[in-house]
Amino acid sequence: MKNISIGQYYAADSPIHRLDARTKLILAILCIVCTFICKSTFAFVALMIFGVLLVLISRIPPKVIFRAMKPIVFIMLFTALINIFWTGGEILLFEWKFIKVYAEGLYNAAFMTVRIIVLIIGSSIFLTYTTTPIALTDGTERLLSPLKKIKVPVHEFAMMMSIALRFVPTLIDEADRIMSAQKARGTDFSSGGLIKRAKALIPIIIPLFVSAFRRADELATAMECRCYHGGEGRTKLHVTHLGFSDFFALILMIAFGAALVLINIYASKYGLGYVMP
Amino acid sequence: MKEPFIRVENLSYSYGDGGNEKPKHPAVSGISLEIGEGEYLAVIGRNGSGKSTFAKLLNLILDPTDGKIYISGKDVTSPDMTDEDVYAVRRDIGMVFQNPDNQLVATVVEDDVAFGPENLGLPREELRKRVDDALAAVGMTEFAGYEPHRLSGGQKQRVAIAGIIAMLPRCIIFDESTAMLDPIGRRDTVEMMEKLNREKGITVITITHYMDEAVRADRVIVMDNGRVLADGTPKQVYSDRELILSAGLELPQCATLVDRLRTAGVNIPDGDSTTPEKCAELIASALKGGELS
Amino acid sequence: MNKAELKNVTFRYMPGTVYETLALNDVSVGFEDGKITGLIGHTGSGKSTLVGMLNGLIRPMSGEVLLDGENIWEKPKNIGSVRFRVGLVMQYPEYQLFEDTVEKDISFGPKNMGLSPDEISRRVKEAADIVGLSGKELAKSPFDLSGGQKRRAAIAGVMAMEPELLVLDEPAAGLDPVGRETVFSAIADYRNMRNSTVVIVSHSMEDMARWCDVLTVMADGGVLMTGSCEDVFSHAEELKKTGLDLPQITKLMLLLREKGVPVGENIYTVEAAYAALTEIFGKRASLKRI
Repeated sequence: MKNISIGQYYAADSPIHRLDARTKLILAILCIVCTFICKSTFAFVALMIFGVLLVLISRIPPKVIFRAMKPIVFIMLFTALINIFWTGGEILLFEWKFIKVYAEGLYNAAFMTVRIIVLIIGSSIFLTYTTTPIALTDGTERLLSPLKKIKVPVHEFAMMMSIALRFVPTLIDEADRIMSAQKARGTDFSSGGLIKRAKALIPIIIPLFVSAFRRADELATAMECRCYHGGEGRTKLHVTHLGFSDFFALILMIAFGAALVLINIYASKYGLGYVMP
Repeated sequence: MKEPFIRVENLSYSYGDGGNEKPKHPAVSGISLEIGEGEYLAVIGRNGSGKSTFAKLLNLILDPTDGKIYISGKDVTSPDMTDEDVYAVRRDIGMVFQNPDNQLVATVVEDDVAFGPENLGLPREELRKRVDDALAAVGMTEFAGYEPHRLSGGQKQRVAIAGIIAMLPRCIIFDESTAMLDPIGRRDTVEMMEKLNREKGITVITITHYMDEAVRADRVIVMDNGRVLADGTPKQVYSDRELILSAGLELPQCATLVDRLRTAGVNIPDGDSTTPEKCAELIASALKGGELS
Repeated sequence: MNKAELKNVTFRYMPGTVYETLALNDVSVGFEDGKITGLIGHTGSGKSTLVGMLNGLIRPMSGEVLLDGENIWEKPKNIGSVRFRVGLVMQYPEYQLFEDTVEKDISFGPKNMGLSPDEISRRVKEAADIVGLSGKELAKSPFDLSGGQKRRAAIAGVMAMEPELLVLDEPAAGLDPVGRETVFSAIADYRNMRNSTVVIVSHSMEDMARWCDVLTVMADGGVLMTGSCEDVFSHAEELKKTGLDLPQITKLMLLLREKGVPVGENIYTVEAAYAALTEIFGKRASLKRI
């Protein structure tokens, strides 16, 4: 269990990796907006090209991204099927007993699938794959720092988050050790019904909680000894600055969104391809 | 008369129950002593002797139930102390704890070292310099970008020390900082204490029950039941066999050996026999002396 | 006779990844019946892996682990019964305490063995007795005990399973001298009472020299040497080379030999050193008289 790294950060050197976490957070949101702007065939073609480009620029092997998609293949299939069979329309392609498949259904299914894929690619490439959890936490803190003015404990949440990240591997190790110790005392984790198995977890969970509280207590003392007193007056070693590339990326993304809107408008005006209602 | 670095007067502390029960047995009761700037001091005592409580009182993590602490003549236990004053004391008197895991805050080594200075609100250039200097001082520069959980216990402890050094303290308290380490980690940590004391002039207070660590200090304080039983050089303290044993501690084996040889009538000159090196010196000179006379 | 034995055991952590490490490399070693064996070696020498092998927590990738001459992985389904015969006390075992009283916690292992209530209570009393916990402490919550008592309660929890082979990883780590003494003498008592075999892992050479009958030294995933304390500590130079500590007295004797004092190589206790030195001083004194 020792080497499970938290999150799915994929170390590589790409223009996207180098962007500021704040930029990437905004880009991820814009990317989600873009997927929902798309309404027409050409817009979806553009979105697909965008997704492919994103993967290429990020230098993350497509294999890694496919792996991340595996858990949602079922959801994609499910939405696709619902769209195929339940969308009504004018062009009937196929009919068998009560099942009717319209061309509109096929279009919708394809669009939804592209939407979900790009949604996943966009959010995971901008966030988890190219940004470490800690950078993401810092980025969120800074992005939300205006909220401090209305007494939202942004710093405290970010600190909690980063301490949690710091202690996940430690606690995984600890759980591993306690589990071995209880196994040595004859606990059987792998047989019996659900209730028996749940009961077998008690000797793990209680010591784990006790240990987590003890650690929290010691850590709090250590932090106090190091003059911690909340976020006020605190400086930071790593302060990233928004550079040219950050603005460039943001402008590019907004331009892409605007282009999608224009494509939609033109498509519905001149009847190019299929346009979602 | 010049005020000593740390002066403690009749210091007491009892852990309350937090309820209406009577306060528990005092953990520290009526300690008075002085610690000079640049001293290398070991505080020894069995588990529960009050040595860790004493340490936590010194940097104001605990408030004494009674007594005073003066740092460079300033009463730091007075109710007039502002938050800023308290932070100043904690910056001056840093503390390294027992469990290296539970004192590292950040997910990256250099960020952790920066944690204290960041709390002091130092400008970025200064932060960078302090972090680099501190990591270099403990020999962990090449690990600056590591995640703490990939380090060994001894390495984690060195990072913890760097985190304290980066605050430029005048004194560092090591609260059983070697207890959870393997022999190599222990040796590294003890060598680090010595280096900080000798080269940087930092006052080192090490709290331990390993006698082989205590004998390396300039001064040893023996604690039991919240009181100071003995205070002197390692040689003086460890020559009182009865006292050491009654405090639930042990004598260095070499000192026991010399003790027994003397009792048997072997003429060994007076001297320090607390470490194998010093003891070998002593026995060899006794044998040479025998030849000369 | 060997109670337990490893035959050509190899084990790697995280095989096939960049983190792959060879923990045990073709190790063959035996643990003598009825003896207390001390396992020494610095961090990463493979001793923790070896300890995990003995009660089937870790399965060797190749080679065999024998208990009373039988391969414990013959029927992997029966590994549970091996864990009842080989008790393992891990490092800082007090962190595994979880019941609301010490008594219940000690009886956790025996209960898992499916013993009768009478037998369980007999074993709990006996184990508590060996480690020196009184009835008053048995009724307390384990979280209200002192550090040393918690440690002893956790050790009693394994002793109550009455294992034929008791394995302890750093049983006295972090305890003060009195606490250390109590833990080690409890282990020795358990051995004497049950006539069982004990394996102790520790970094403290003084403790090992004092309490163990046999020492096995590990380095780089293999066994460097095995023998009586006298044999092992007489290879002081070799031990030093692998980065291991030596008992204080052995260190002193090495220094004295360097200074030309004719002391033997196999001295590692205060008693032996005392005997050797009185003899030397005695000779010196009689020479002087002549």
